[in-house]
Amino acid sequence: MILTNNTNVMKNQDQKIKLRVLVLTILTMFFLFPVSDLNGQDKKLNYGNTTDELVPYGRFQKAYKNFFDDVQPFTGAGREKVPPTDLTEVRIGFLGPLEGSILTPLGIQMLQGASFAIEEANNKGGYNGIPFKLMPHNDVGLWGAAANEVVKMNDEKVWAFLGSIDDINTHVALRVALKLEIPMVNSGDPDPTLTETRIPWMIRNIADDRQSSYALVNHIYREKKHSRIAVLRANNRYGRVGIMEFRDAALRYGFPLVLEIRYNDGEIDFATQIERMIKSSPDAVVLWGNAKETALIINQMRQMGMEQPVYGSDRLMSKELLEIAGENAEGLVTTCQYNPTLDEPNLVAFNKNYNERYGMEPDVFAAHAYDGMNLIIEAIHKAGLNRALIRDLLTDHKTFQGYQGITGELILDPSWNDIGSIWMTEVRDGKFDFFPTPPLISDEQENKKSTP
Amino acid sequence: MKNNNRFFQKNIKVLSLILLSVFLSGFSISKQDKSFQNDLEDNQAKPVEISSRVSPETGSDIKDEAQQMPVYGNWETFTVKDGLPADKAYCVRIDGDRVLVGTSAGLAVYENETWKTYTAEDGLAHNGVLSIDVSELTGDVWLGTLGGLTRWSAGRFETFTQFNSGLANDVIYTVICDGKDVWVATGGGAGSYDTYTREWGIYTERNAPMHEPWTYGVCAGGGKIFIAAWGGGVIEYTKETKQFRDYVDPDGEMEIDLFPDDGVIHDITTGVTFADDILWVATYFGLSRYDGTRWKGYLDHDSGLVSNFINFLKADGPVVWLCTDLGLSSFNGETWVTYRKNENNKKGKIIITEGENTKEISSTTSISHEFVIGVDTQDDVVWIATSKGVSRGEILKDLTAGL
Repeated sequence: MILTNNTNVMKNQDQKIKLRVLVLTILTMFFLFPVSDLNGQDKKLNYGNTTDELVPYGRFQKAYKNFFDDVQPFTGAGREKVPPTDLTEVRIGFLGPLEGSILTPLGIQMLQGASFAIEEANNKGGYNGIPFKLMPHNDVGLWGAAANEVVKMNDEKVWAFLGSIDDINTHVALRVALKLEIPMVNSGDPDPTLTETRIPWMIRNIADDRQSSYALVNHIYREKKHSRIAVLRANNRYGRVGIMEFRDAALRYGFPLVLEIRYNDGEIDFATQIERMIKSSPDAVVLWGNAKETALIINQMRQMGMEQPVYGSDRLMSKELLEIAGENAEGLVTTCQYNPTLDEPNLVAFNKNYNERYGMEPDVFAAHAYDGMNLIIEAIHKAGLNRALIRDLLTDHKTFQGYQGITGELILDPSWNDIGSIWMTEVRDGKFDFFPTPPLISDEQENKKSTP
Repeated sequence: MKNNNRFFQKNIKVLSLILLSVFLSGFSISKQDKSFQNDLEDNQAKPVEISSRVSPETGSDIKDEAQQMPVYGNWETFTVKDGLPADKAYCVRIDGDRVLVGTSAGLAVYENETWKTYTAEDGLAHNGVLSIDVSELTGDVWLGTLGGLTRWSAGRFETFTQFNSGLANDVIYTVICDGKDVWVATGGGAGSYDTYTREWGIYTERNAPMHEPWTYGVCAGGGKIFIAAWGGGVIEYTKETKQFRDYVDPDGEMEIDLFPDDGVIHDITTGVTFADDILWVATYFGLSRYDGTRWKGYLDHDSGLVSNFINFLKADGPVVWLCTDLGLSSFNGETWVTYRKNENNKKGKIIITEGENTKEISSTTSISHEFVIGVDTQDDVVWIATSKGVSRGEILKDLTAGL
């Protein structure tokens, strides 16, 4: 019995000693090889709602550096500036295609959406009794007009600005906004690279082409089981950069495009491109461009005997497309950054009031401009008249994270890109029928489905 | 079993001591060695001991190179209170005995210890002066502004805009003089102006291998012009052959850098500078160095670069100066020296990094603000433009960086 007790005591001591050695060893290893000393980045975060399968080079190589794992701060001066006391109006800038561009109809809708938000804010007393004033600027004109217009806005002493739609103009404006330190909200340019510039002076409240591409790729390849896709896109930056994420995602799913060809804005005869598409034997077609040309392409495709399903970019969700393409548009599937038909009280009220005010239905640019301008107005109310402080609120991932606008919930990623929900539409009986984007199907789920 | 227990009981203290000593040595070789405090505060600048060893990478003696890496201090700051037209300074250029500073409210000239301001009322294209260079041939001062290009010659201001010249855009981010030619990087493309023939050239995505029309920086060297094309990497123009080529991020992705030294770190480039046959490229994602054959990347997590967000850079011989949002870094290929403000007081910090070793020195004076936008050096003096004021530093003669 005594022997047994001694043996137990020794066993306990032995275990304690082993435990101590183990703890000491772990502690030593921990301090000898701290994780932070590793040169490569070990943190695994998929940027932009990207699934593991769609991470660039993800199947073969871990990136040395992921640039958007963290938030770029603004460390400059300016927060200490005292607001002026002699203002008679609080100016907010607007940059958009208002004249001389094929995007002018979109720019007008955007301006109306922004103006509507300003009018509502002024009806509620403006900023502490001082009215807000919109300072509209056309971004179409002399080469690089957007840059010059943002300088003018700075001279006009705007506190922030909303803009724009065209990729190039918005990029140019953003660069000047950084130099002049003017907070900027983008409500109309879905170019994924816009927020990939690491400039901490802009947020975007509209889903980008990366989100559109992922939704389309999932729908086309995983749900509809197409494998041979031909792309006909606009020969402009919207077409070039927009299709980029789609092309890459398709490739990463194992389906390189069978054809990618272009057309110029303003073209009306697409026979040459369509003949090339026919020769490539696609089982579906993706069109990426503006509504008018796309509608003409769809008509001509059907005339030339192409009956394949057609998918397209967000700008195709347009009344103009339905008017031009008519029955040929039936079955067209596009993405859209919001669902205007939702029975949400604020959205319903906006649609009604906007229609009464401007005599037309608001489009995606009007709705997002309305939300974007409301973000600016609310930021000014909360931060006061100080650009750096307005910027701080817009970009802090707290104040406006989860903001419920008429276009849905705003979710900003570390680059201040809106990765909230995106919708899909299908033309049925001459109307766009909206449905939520289904969750992306992973490789594993896809393999399970195909395995009996 | 019994023997094993005895072994553990007897040796536990020894084992613990061994493990503890290994544990403590782990501390001593960790990267941040803050135990060293050179007391610059008492103006007793002491040379930091430099150990001589041969770099396995270059075969050169690090001691020799490190000794060429000066340390600056005795910072003097100028703001509106001292005569600047605005605290926000975009650029600085040393021109002989005077210093030219571009601010958000005009051009400030420091001469004979006083500031004089020139604005749009005097003839500047715009009060926001983003870039300054001085022609070595004529002594003319060229000013890149938010509203056009201005030449200051013999006391007269002459302005070039999109309306009266071949400028691609009125927002001039960078201007440089290269012999008789003046090159600009603008919001609508790069441009050149031949001051003899008065001919303009415009370079955009339509006639050069740029992905986008907008440019941000330009520099000259080695018979070439290098353009930092925002979104298009670096465009190289060989003057003799008039041929362009581009250098872009090989992985083609904006959100990652796949391999560290495979090319320019990112296509969003913010500046270029060339000296000693080395091209340095600034981005908001880190620094790249190109020796004509190989690229090398530097990020804040794998080097002494204080921040990846580089507003501007300028090379002076073997040393490149990097204006970041977290202070001013300098680098000679081996040794990093970074100048920051102490968060808790008005004093400064000098951070010296060589390989994996870092030392921090406290200094009684500091740069005026950590958001550094412009830099220029001449002889033993460095001037910087910051978000809040301009600072002048001088070489601490008894101190060179090294570990």
